[in-house]
Amino acid sequence: MSELGVVRRVLAYLVLLAVTFLICFPLIWAFSTSIKGPKEVMATPPRLIPTEATAANYRNLITGKEQYFRADQAYVPTTAAPQHFIAWFTNSLIVSGSSTLISIVISTLAAYSITRFRYWGRRIIPYFSLLGYMIPSIILVFPLFLVMAQLSLTNSLWSLTFGYVSITLPFSMWLLWAFFRGIPIELEEAAMIDGASRLRVFVDIVLPSALPGIIAAAIFSLIVSWNDFLFARVFINSIENLPLTVGVMHFFEGVHVDWGLMMASAVLMTVPMAILFMLMQRHLVAGFGAGAVKG
Amino acid sequence: MTIRLDHIYKSFGPVPVLKDIHLEFPEKAFVTLVGPSGCGKTTLLRILAGLESATSGAIWHGKEKVSDLAPGKRDVAMVFQSYALYPHMDVRANIGYGLKVRGVPREELDRRVREVARVLEIEHLLGRKPRQLSGGQRQRVALGRAMVRKPWLFLMDEPLSNLDAKLRVTMRGELKRFHLRLEATTVYVTHDQLEAMTMSDLIAVMEHGVVQQYATPAEIYNRPANTFVAGFIGSPPMNFIEGARIGGGEVSIRAGEQVAAVAASAVASGADRVVRLGVRPQDVRLDTSEGASVPGEVTLVQLVGSEKLVDLDLGGGVRVTAEVKAELAVEQGARVRVSFDPAKLHLFDLESGRNLAFVAERA
Repeated sequence: MSELGVVRRVLAYLVLLAVTFLICFPLIWAFSTSIKGPKEVMATPPRLIPTEATAANYRNLITGKEQYFRADQAYVPTTAAPQHFIAWFTNSLIVSGSSTLISIVISTLAAYSITRFRYWGRRIIPYFSLLGYMIPSIILVFPLFLVMAQLSLTNSLWSLTFGYVSITLPFSMWLLWAFFRGIPIELEEAAMIDGASRLRVFVDIVLPSALPGIIAAAIFSLIVSWNDFLFARVFINSIENLPLTVGVMHFFEGVHVDWGLMMASAVLMTVPMAILFMLMQRHLVAGFGAGAVKG
Repeated sequence: MTIRLDHIYKSFGPVPVLKDIHLEFPEKAFVTLVGPSGCGKTTLLRILAGLESATSGAIWHGKEKVSDLAPGKRDVAMVFQSYALYPHMDVRANIGYGLKVRGVPREELDRRVREVARVLEIEHLLGRKPRQLSGGQRQRVALGRAMVRKPWLFLMDEPLSNLDAKLRVTMRGELKRFHLRLEATTVYVTHDQLEAMTMSDLIAVMEHGVVQQYATPAEIYNRPANTFVAGFIGSPPMNFIEGARIGGGEVSIRAGEQVAAVAASAVASGADRVVRLGVRPQDVRLDTSEGASVPGEVTLVQLVGSEKLVDLDLGGGVRVTAEVKAELAVEQGARVRVSFDPAKLHLFDLESGRNLAFVAERA
């Protein structure tokens, strides 16, 4: 490699490093704050690496008990309610998991039906569904709240599950519709001639071929429901039924904010998603079906 | 058992695609459906497979009516133009899928897959995924998937069209050998008349959803039923000369101002009549001194190995191509005399395009 080439490469890496740091900084800062004691959290000038690291914030969140950080430190009243953290976390898991599952099952079947069966309106359904997705959540939330109230579902996890399905389903369906269209119909026809029933063809041939699309749609649904604030804020009014996003708001109280607990929650909220991404990355890589047809 | 297509009609909405297809495939025959794009040949194949249903008409296998059966129940096999190998399964699973679906026991399935792989010489590929195979290898896997079930009917939809020219010639021979070995009736779809001519026992030439002629390759080549068949089969294509006159023991054409006899006619019987004259490039002779001939100018010479293709302008807008031996010295711009082999002239009705020999036979 020429000298100029080396310089260019070094420069490119430096730029990439800077951008990566910029993107990661909030997460790094959140983690740093989460392992600081209450005094150091507000220290000026702020320090990225704490002088004395502590796992107290995490311990408090997981055990649900408030503990003093160090005997020699003045008592800082943690006005928030760390005892609910595990419940919120569980609620978030249940609601995002179930809404993703429902959304994926319905959107997969719907998208398959639209691409493979002939019936009136099948061509316009995907576009309408995308149009539906474009309506801002803030416009949807109040009519949906009224519907949930009619069904006596407000303040229950079901209201959130259905609410999230209503916003993730159209986009998932549109995404999978585009994906199914790309699966050559000859694959299914070949399997039918091989003797497989329509259902067997769907399970044996279509689903594995559509896996990257299904995973992409599932991740989208998970992110939307895991990160939602608006629906949870409107639909749920008891502290124990809240998901994490709204729950951590209780770490703000009046003028007091427990930044340590807040940041520990933020880190714990991010971890499951980060792990999921790492596990699924392989499946998200395009070109899974390359080579199936033609040369 | 013979396979009989009994007056098949097919329309997509208001558009008719197949009109009154009535064919019989003898047992173990290699039958080719050939025609230009959009002639309905693939639709007919899909109806045979059960992937499309005919608007009316039926398909019989011996005395059994198979046109009401679902594709999986017909026990036919199909090789797709795109191969349609299951991308997430390895070669072994691809070949064995049909047996697995039918609940064949594992040991037997393994044995049969290995047997087919051995015949096709793809044993070393059994563990690979389709994307790791070359075009020719994918082709063999697709064949293996069709062969392993031992079906009574093989359907092949342009299986060679994705291969390069050299491999296509090799695979053409192999397909024919497999057919002879398997002894199952094969219906092969192609738009390549050379494939049709070289591989088939019988050819059905199709145009606009109608079978124009159904006969052996030799019959189709030597006695094309109409101008479409005559023009489609044979390479380079047959020359057509409008307004040729037969009568008086001669065939004459009007070239420019002059009327010239081009052949002593072996077919010219009965009254004078104006026809469309068809003559294959192989039957055009140059530089003949004897018999009837017409002067012409050489406009283009193309060497194609052992032959030369010579484009000739006979004047008055009449152009023909001759195929001559490569050794024959002929250059662009040369004036030559041209005549046609009288025994190999094809005379077609000007309006209907039908071969007059057929018309005479029917009359």
